[in-house]
Amino acid sequence: MKNIKYILRNTLTIFILGILFISCESSLDDAYDNPNAVTEIDDAALFTNAVRSLVLQTAGASSEFAGQYAHYYVEGSTARRPDQYFDNFDGTYSRMYNGFYGGVIKHIEDVMVITTTEGTRNEVRYAMANVISVMGFAVITDAFGEIPYTEGGKGKTEGIITPKYDTQEFIYKDMIERLGESISTLKIADPAKGYPGSDPLFNNDLDKWVRLANSVRLRLGMRLRLADNTLSKQVVAQCLNEPLMEDPTHDASMIQTEGSGNSWYLRKIGYPLVKMSEMMIDQLVNTSDPRLSVFVAKNKEDEYAGQLNGLNDIAFGVSKYESKSNMGDAISSAESLHYIMTAAEVWFLRAEAALAYDGDSAKANELYRMGIKTSLDQWEVDGVDIVNFLASETTTLTGTTNEMEEQIGIQMWVGITPNYFESWSHVRRTGYPIIAERTAAKLDRGVTKGIMPKRFLYPNAELSANGTNVDEAIERQGVNKIDTPVWWDKN
Amino acid sequence: MNKLLLLLGVMIFTLSGSVYAQKMVSGQVLEEDSNQPIPEVSVLVKGTSKGAITDFDGNFAIKDVDANSILVFSYMGFITQEITVGDQSVISIALMADENKLDEVVVTALNIERDKASLGYSVAQIDAAEVNIVKDNNVMNSLTGKVSGLQITQANTGVDGSSRILLRGITTISGSNRPLVVIDGIPVGGGSSGASQWGGTDGGDALSDINPDDVASISVLKGAGASAAYGSLGMNGVIIITTKTGERKGGIGVSLSSSFTVTDIMLSPDLQNEYGTGAFDQHAPIGPDGRPVRDYPFSWSWGPKMEGQEYTNWLGEKDTFSPQPDPFKEFYQMGTNSTNTIAFQGASEKNSFRLSITDQNSQGIVPNNTLKKQTYNLRASSNLTDRFSVDGRVSYIRAKVKNRPELAEGPSNTSLQLSLMAPDVRLEDLKNNTVDANGNELNPLNDPTYVNPYWALDNVYNEDLKDRIQGVVSAKFDVNEHLLFTGKSGMDYIIRDGVSHAARGARAISEGLGNYSHSTSKSTIWNSDILGTYKTSVVGIGINASLGANYRSEFGSSIGVSGKDEKTPDFYRISNYKNSYSSDYSWKKNVYSFYGLAELSYGGFFYFDATLRNDNSSALPSDNNSYWYHSENASLLFTKLFGINSKTFNMGKLRASYATVGNDTGPYRTQSVYNVNQTPTLDYSVASIPGSLPAVDLKPEHSESWEVGMELGFFNNRINLDVTYYETLTTDQIMAVPISGTSGFSSKVVNAGSIKNTGIEASLNLIPVQTDNFRWDMGLNYTQSTSMVESLNEGLESIVLGSNKNAGVTVEARPGEEFGSIYGVDFKRDNFGRILVSDYGTISKGEITNFGSVTPDFYGGITNNFKYKNISLRTTISGQYGGVFYSHGRGYRMFFGTDQRSLEGRVGGIVYDGINENTGAPNTVAIPALNKQLSEVFSNQIVTNMMLDATNVRIKEIVLTYNFPKRMMQNSPIQSLSVSAIGTNLFFIYNAAGDIDPEAGYSSGTSGTYMEVGSLPSTRSYGLNFNINF
Repeated sequence: MKNIKYILRNTLTIFILGILFISCESSLDDAYDNPNAVTEIDDAALFTNAVRSLVLQTAGASSEFAGQYAHYYVEGSTARRPDQYFDNFDGTYSRMYNGFYGGVIKHIEDVMVITTTEGTRNEVRYAMANVISVMGFAVITDAFGEIPYTEGGKGKTEGIITPKYDTQEFIYKDMIERLGESISTLKIADPAKGYPGSDPLFNNDLDKWVRLANSVRLRLGMRLRLADNTLSKQVVAQCLNEPLMEDPTHDASMIQTEGSGNSWYLRKIGYPLVKMSEMMIDQLVNTSDPRLSVFVAKNKEDEYAGQLNGLNDIAFGVSKYESKSNMGDAISSAESLHYIMTAAEVWFLRAEAALAYDGDSAKANELYRMGIKTSLDQWEVDGVDIVNFLASETTTLTGTTNEMEEQIGIQMWVGITPNYFESWSHVRRTGYPIIAERTAAKLDRGVTKGIMPKRFLYPNAELSANGTNVDEAIERQGVNKIDTPVWWDKN
Repeated sequence: MNKLLLLLGVMIFTLSGSVYAQKMVSGQVLEEDSNQPIPEVSVLVKGTSKGAITDFDGNFAIKDVDANSILVFSYMGFITQEITVGDQSVISIALMADENKLDEVVVTALNIERDKASLGYSVAQIDAAEVNIVKDNNVMNSLTGKVSGLQITQANTGVDGSSRILLRGITTISGSNRPLVVIDGIPVGGGSSGASQWGGTDGGDALSDINPDDVASISVLKGAGASAAYGSLGMNGVIIITTKTGERKGGIGVSLSSSFTVTDIMLSPDLQNEYGTGAFDQHAPIGPDGRPVRDYPFSWSWGPKMEGQEYTNWLGEKDTFSPQPDPFKEFYQMGTNSTNTIAFQGASEKNSFRLSITDQNSQGIVPNNTLKKQTYNLRASSNLTDRFSVDGRVSYIRAKVKNRPELAEGPSNTSLQLSLMAPDVRLEDLKNNTVDANGNELNPLNDPTYVNPYWALDNVYNEDLKDRIQGVVSAKFDVNEHLLFTGKSGMDYIIRDGVSHAARGARAISEGLGNYSHSTSKSTIWNSDILGTYKTSVVGIGINASLGANYRSEFGSSIGVSGKDEKTPDFYRISNYKNSYSSDYSWKKNVYSFYGLAELSYGGFFYFDATLRNDNSSALPSDNNSYWYHSENASLLFTKLFGINSKTFNMGKLRASYATVGNDTGPYRTQSVYNVNQTPTLDYSVASIPGSLPAVDLKPEHSESWEVGMELGFFNNRINLDVTYYETLTTDQIMAVPISGTSGFSSKVVNAGSIKNTGIEASLNLIPVQTDNFRWDMGLNYTQSTSMVESLNEGLESIVLGSNKNAGVTVEARPGEEFGSIYGVDFKRDNFGRILVSDYGTISKGEITNFGSVTPDFYGGITNNFKYKNISLRTTISGQYGGVFYSHGRGYRMFFGTDQRSLEGRVGGIVYDGINENTGAPNTVAIPALNKQLSEVFSNQIVTNMMLDATNVRIKEIVLTYNFPKRMMQNSPIQSLSVSAIGTNLFFIYNAAGDIDPEAGYSSGTSGTYMEVGSLPSTRSYGLNFNINF
C-alpha cells in the first residue's frame, strides 16, 4: 500500500513537472513571433517605398548641399556652412549615404529578389524596379564617386555587410546596360503585370516608364561625354532611337501628401531660413525670364533681393540676410511637386548632344528652344509671356560653340530647378554656369580654396565599419576630400 | 583537502556535563530601549543542544535545566548575553542592540536573510533612517556617497527627473547597465530616461515610485556572485528593497511623518553683465521695421559697453543701455516639496498589517512644473498555522507630473534661452511681449532654435499620469524542521498616459504649425517563484540546499496619436490637427528558469555557497534559447579559525566569489520582418524593412566575474575595513553594432564585443568617539572602476554611443580605450603640442582627439553621524575625481558673448598662446574677442576649451535630528517624536568646472553625463521633517 502511494506520488510529481516544462516551452514559442510586423508581403508595397524614397531622398540630399553649391540659394545659420565650402558634416554625409541605401536600394533589392524568385517571378515588375535601382545608384555615385554597387544594399538578401566598392566607370557602364534591358522588356510588356495601383510616378503607364528609362540613359550617356566620349556617343545614339520624355506630362514627379508636404515648404516655414541666391535672381532678372516669379518670392519690401553665396561669418552678419527673397511658392508650397527627371532636361541634353556630337548648331538651337518652352510649360507660364520670352535673345543660341554650350548650360541650370542635386552634377560636368573661384576677402574659401566642392565625403561610420573596402576605393579615386573629382568629372 | 580535514579535526567539540538537580526555567526577553518583547530569540543551555525560541511575546520555557547551567540568549543584531541559572526559575532579560554590527544580518538574493560574515561577496545594507528622513522623490538619490561601488548621478531635469545609477561601472556597450531593483522579492521594471541633444523631456525613473516612508531596508548586492540567483536580470548587481511590516504596538500604532522642503538655485552659469546686444562693439543696425536687425552676430552680446546710454532696444523702443539683473534668479522661482505619510500598523501573535498613505506635492523651480503623487501601501501577513504562513503586499501609486521641462537644444528650454539672451534685455519686456502683431512668437534672438521662455511657459505643455499597481503574495510552508517551501508571485503593472502640445506660432516648434500628441501604454511584469529548502547538518557541516523555479513574463502595449498643423487655437484634441498619425505596438517576453542553491557552513568560520541556474528565454532563437550560469562564493573568518579574539583585532574575514552569468535580449530581434507604413493620404500601400538586420543565430551573452575581498574589524569593530577587488569580463554581448550603411542597414544584431570592468572598492567605518552620551560614527567609501573596451565586432573601429553633430563631439567605445571616451576637434598643434597660429593671429582645426572618459578615476563619499543624547547630526559628502564632460552650453555662451569668460580681450583683443606657424616664434598678434570665439567655437568647432574636468566634491546631505525624550511624552499617547532639519545638495566644496555642475546632463543613460547643454540650474533643498508615532 505504502509502495503504491509512493509510486503514485512520484508519478504525479513527474507528470506535473512534465506539464510545467511543456507549457513553459510553448509559452516561449508564443512570445517569439513579432506581432507588430509581417514576415511576407507583396513586393508592390516595397516598390512604392523605394520610389518614394528616391524622390524624397533626392530632394533631401540636394537640399542639404547641392542647391548651395550650385548657387540656387543660401541657407541660414549653421546650415549655410556648406555654402562656405566647409566639409565638417559627417552626420549629413552619413544620413545621405544611409538614406539612399536604406531607403531606395534596400527595398528595391528586395523587390528584385522577390520578382526573380520562383513563384513570384515577374519580369515586368523586375524591369521597373531595375530603373529605380539605377536611378538610386546614379545619385549615390554622382555624390560620392566609387560606391558599393554590385554588393550594395544586399545586407538582407545576400548577407553582405561589408560590401566592396566598384569604380564609377564600371557602375556607369552597367547602369546604362541595365536601362537598355528594362527598355526592351517594358516596350512590349503587359501593363497588368506591372504595378497597377502601386506606382507613385506614372500610374503604371508603361510608355512613360520606357521614356523615363531612356531619358535617364541619355542623362547617364551625356555624363560620360568627357570621361568616355566613344561610349557616350554610342549611348546617345541608342537613346535617340527610342522614345524620350518630350512634354511635361512625361515628367517623373511626385507630390508629397504625407506629413507636412514638400520638403522645401517645411524649410521655408521652419528653421533655418532659405533665401534665394543673388546669382539666380540676377540671371532671371537680367533676361526678363518669366520664371522669376515662379522660382523667387518678393521680400517684405516687395522686391526681388538675392543673397550673395559664400559670405564669411562677419560679412554675413551685415548682409541683411533675413530680408532677402524666399523661394517662390510654386516650388516651395506644401503641394509643390518633387521632380527627379523632366522633359525640359531631356531637350537640353539633346541640344548639347546635337552641338557636340553632330556639330549641328541649328538643330541644337531648335532643341534648346524646345527645352526652354517645355520648362515654361512645366511651370504653367502665361502664353503671352512664353511668346515674348521665346522672342528674346536669351532663347536663341549664338556665338562660338563654347558660347552656345554656355547658353545651354545656363538654361539647363534654370530649367532643372528644383532638382538641385542633378543641377550640381550638371554644373560639375559642364562647368556652366560658371561658378567663379572665390577670391574676395568677404568670401569664405572653406576647405576647397574657394572652388565649388566636387563630391561628398565618405562618412566616418563607413570608414569605421567598412574600412578595408572604402580604403581601396580611396586608393583608386583619390583622397576622401570634397575637392577630389569623381571619375566622370573631367572639367 | 588535507587542510580542510585538519580544520574539521580542530573543530570537533567534546561535550561534557555533570548531573545536577533539574528544574523548569521560564522568562521573557525584551528589547533594552523600547521594552518591546523580542520574538524568536534563541535561548540555549550552553554546551548542550537543549534550548528554546522565544514566542511572539518574547516568552520562553525550558524544562530540566540544571542550576549551574548557563543560558545563552542570542538574536541577530543584538549583543549575546549569558546568564547562570542558579536558583532562579524565572529569568527575564533585556537585550541590547548591537550598534557595532558584529553580527550584521543582511538581506541577500531571493530575500534570504543571512549573517554578513557568511557571505563570500560584497553587500552593503542601508538603514531605513537614511531614506525615511530625507525623502527624495527617488530613493536611490539618498544613497549617493554612502555605498562603495554605487555611482548615482542626478540630472537637472525638473521634478521627478531620472537618475543614472551604476553599480561597479559599465559592463555592457548597449545594455542599460543599471542594477536590478527587487522590492519584497519581486523584480520591478526600471530604466533610464532623458532627453536627446535636440531636446525633449526627462520622463522620469521607475524607481521614483518607491515610497521612502515604506522602506525598511535597502540591500545592495554588488557583484554577479551576489546576484546570480536572479539570473540574467541580476547581471549588473541588485538593489533589494524590503518594505516595512506591521510591528507590535499597544493596540493599533499610528505613525505620522511630514516633511516640507524648499528648493532653490545652487549653481547657475556665470554671465557677463557689462556688454550688451550688438557686434564689433557696435549696436545692431536698425532694420526697415524700426527694430535692430536680429541677424547674428548682431543679436549676440558683443555690442558696446552698457553705460546707460540711449539705444533702440529689441522691441524698437528708445531705451537706456544698461545691465539687468541675473535672469536665472529672476525667471526661476523657489520650488517646494511637501510629503506627508500616515501609517497604521498592528500585529498579533498570528497576524500583522501595515497600511500607509503618502501624499507628495512638488513644485519645481520652473514655474509650471509640478508633481502630485499618492502612494497607498498595504502589507499584511498571517501565520495561518504553526507551519504555514502567508504574506502579501499591494501598492498603488498615482503620479501626475505637469510640464516636465524641455532640455538640451530643445526650442523651449528656458535655461538655454536665458543664458544666451543679451544682458541688456529686460525679462519684464520678454514677459510682456511674447507675441507680435500677427500672433507669432516674439523674441530678441533671430536664431529660431529657441523661443521666448515666457511664450513657452504659456504655450508649450505636457502632462503625464502614471498609475502603478504592485502586488505580491508569498506563502511559506514549514514541512518540518528540515524542509521549507516558499512560493511567491508578484506583479508590477504600470499604465501611463501622456499628453503634450504646443500652440501654433513659434517657428522653432513644428515649423510654427502647432503640435499635439497623446499616448497610453500598459506594461506588466509577472514574476513567480517556487523554492524548496532543505536544511541539515552532517558531521558539523551545516547544509542548506534549495531547488527552485521561476517564471517571468513581461508584456505590454502602447497606443498613441500625434498631430501637427493646428486648425483652431486653444483646442487640444487630435481632431484639431490636419496631419495626424497613430501608433500601435505590443510586446511580450517570457522567461522560465530552474535553479539550485547550496550553502555549506562549517564551524562558524568557513562558509561556501554555490548557485546554478538555467534560463530559457523567448527572445532568443528557439534552438538556442537556454543558458546556464553559476556562482561560487566562499568566506573564511580567519580570526575565528585561528582563535584570534582580541579586542584590538576582533574580526578578520577573507572572501572570494566567482560567477558566470548569461543574458538574453529584448524581444523580436531575431526575426526578419516587414513593417507596414502608416500612409493616410496614399491610395497604395507602403512597407518597409527595419533598419537593423536581425540575427537569426543569436546566442546568449556571457559575463564572467570574480572578486576577492577582506573585512577587518579592530577595537571591537570600532574600526571596520572592507576592501574588494573585482573583475568582470563581458563577452558575446548582444547589441546592434553599426554596420556599413551601404548594406542597406545601419546596424546588425550580433554577439560581439568584450568589455573588461575592473575595480577596487573600499569602505572604512570608524567610531572615533563613543561615550555614554556621545557617539561619532564616520564612514568613508572609495570606488575606482574602469571599463576597458577590449574588442568590438570584427573590423569595427568604434561604436558611437552619443554625439553632438553640431560640435563634432562624440562619446565612443573603441578597442583598447576606456568605455565612454569623448572625442572632438582640437587646435592644430605642432609636434610639441603648441598651438599653431597664423600670421593674422588666427588658429585652425587640428586632429580629432580623445579628451578622456566620462568615467571618474575614483569616486566616493564621507558620512559622519554625530549623536549626543537626543540630538544627532548626519552629514554626507560625495565626490568624484577625474572624468571629463563636454559643455555645449558654455560653447554657446562663449560665441554668443554672454559667458563671464567672454569678457576676456573685449578691449585689446586676444593673443593665442601658441607659436606662429611660419616662423615658430611665439604668437604676438591679437585678434578681436568676437572673431576668436566665432572662429574657434562656431566655425572651426574646436572643443578643447569646452572639455571640462568633472572633479567635484559636494555636501550632499545634512540632517540634524532631535528626538524628544520619552519622559516628555509619558502622559500622552505619543510614543516617540522627532524633528529633523534637512538639507540636500547644499553646495560644492570644490567644483573643477566652476559654474557648471558635471552632473547636469540631460539624460540618465549609460554615457548620458558626457555632455551638458544649457542645463537647468542645479538646485539645493532644505526643510524640516517630523516623525510622530502613536
